[in-house]
Amino acid sequence: MEGRIIVVTSGKGGVGKTTATASIGAALALEGKRVAVIDMDIGLRNLDVVLGLENRIVFNIVDVVNGKCKLRQAAIRDRRIENLFLIPASQSDNKDILTPAGVERVGRLLKKEFDYVLMDSPAGIERGFENSIASADEAVVICTPDVSSVRDADRVIGLLYARSITPKLVVNRIVPEMVAKGDMLSHEDVIDVLSVPLVGLVPMDQQVVISSNVGLPLVMQNDSTAGQAFRRIARRLNGESDLPIQVPSHKKGMWGMLTRKFGKK
Amino acid sequence: MGTNDMPPVKLKGVGDGFWITVDPQAPEETIEEQLTLLFQRLRHLAINARITLDMGGATGCDELVTRLTAFLKETFQVGVVTLPPEKRSIPVERTRQRDLSRGWKHHRSDVLMLRGRVRSGQKIESRKHIVIMGNVNPGAEILAGGHVIVLGQLRGRVHAGISEDETATVVALEFRPTHVQIGGVAAAGLDSAGNGKAEIAVVEKGRIVVQSYLESNLFDALPWPEVM
Repeated sequence: MEGRIIVVTSGKGGVGKTTATASIGAALALEGKRVAVIDMDIGLRNLDVVLGLENRIVFNIVDVVNGKCKLRQAAIRDRRIENLFLIPASQSDNKDILTPAGVERVGRLLKKEFDYVLMDSPAGIERGFENSIASADEAVVICTPDVSSVRDADRVIGLLYARSITPKLVVNRIVPEMVAKGDMLSHEDVIDVLSVPLVGLVPMDQQVVISSNVGLPLVMQNDSTAGQAFRRIARRLNGESDLPIQVPSHKKGMWGMLTRKFGKK
Repeated sequence: MGTNDMPPVKLKGVGDGFWITVDPQAPEETIEEQLTLLFQRLRHLAINARITLDMGGATGCDELVTRLTAFLKETFQVGVVTLPPEKRSIPVERTRQRDLSRGWKHHRSDVLMLRGRVRSGQKIESRKHIVIMGNVNPGAEILAGGHVIVLGQLRGRVHAGISEDETATVVALEFRPTHVQIGGVAAAGLDSAGNGKAEIAVVEKGRIVVQSYLESNLFDALPWPEVM
């Protein structure tokens, strides 16, 4: 069976596309799928650092598209998670070095090789974005609960629909305490504007910063709330569409404080 | 009527009251001066008198009528002030009869009617009126030669009556645009959240006024359904 190419995009920068790509990719691989995560942010590569594979880069996606190497030569195998592969971006080129047609051609090869291919799109809606969506079958739009991120996600959703790609939504970095106080948009507010199918809600988690810096996939850390959310997102993408979506909540009062105190060791 | 050689105000005794013909083109001070002259001569006869205020068939001078009515009542203690009974017009009757017999089928109305959500970065343009069944997101743009009706939330930019048509209106079930322009008159959006009521924006005295659509009853006064 042919694999699926999923582009992870957002319009706005810094909302967690790369973290989401790494986490969902790793989680799908842990589910037993053969997964490639591809950094499409040519010139500003990050995905290799987040996955802790920066020291093993020889070839990159530009080399693959331009025929300088084979797909298998560029795909770096993750030694901790079986079946997870990274194709990094080039750090020395810019976005114009790739064309949508070239990416589409490589996309066909990727689909034969892998069950899931996750494309980490760069921010913006220019060439880099167009390259990323060129071969995509599906899209996951990452949005944080703030007005500018919602606005940009909305624009991107419009562009995806224009290519007849139906996006799925992940609301990232939810701070339940702020939502409860009315200082942050709730995920309902976000969905109210974007009205696309929701695939997961991810709470704000300090563990994300730590794991990105040490290059350890978030989903391998059992005490990370964001990691758990991404694992559930991966399961939903992998066909378990009836898996209920958990709304991040904060425990309040005496009982909550007690459980939090004793829960941490 | 309205010619220069006619006096701006004429007074005539009719049955149980007075018939005053006013030239609405004349300056309001002149009208009030002339009225004062005439009514001072009437003295006590003016008190509680029934007055018919004839604007010579001119339309759109409702506010002038209101002010003159108040002026007459305060200054001369007149009784009831009414407008002359409407005269029948044969051409009007003919067009309305045609509307009735043909069920308005002979009219054409140019509307671009859409359904769905208009997203950020999408721009909908039409020389006609635009009706959208759905929401208009922040960052979206609606540009219409005529009126704009949004059966949903309006949260983007909207420009109605593009060719300087300030009679155009914008109606939305939830009126929260970031920017609204009607003809050449523009206004920045309001920060307030919607009050859950349908609202209409119109140009009044060179400014955009937004009011509750149902409470404004703007079109109830029209005597006959008009084609837009």
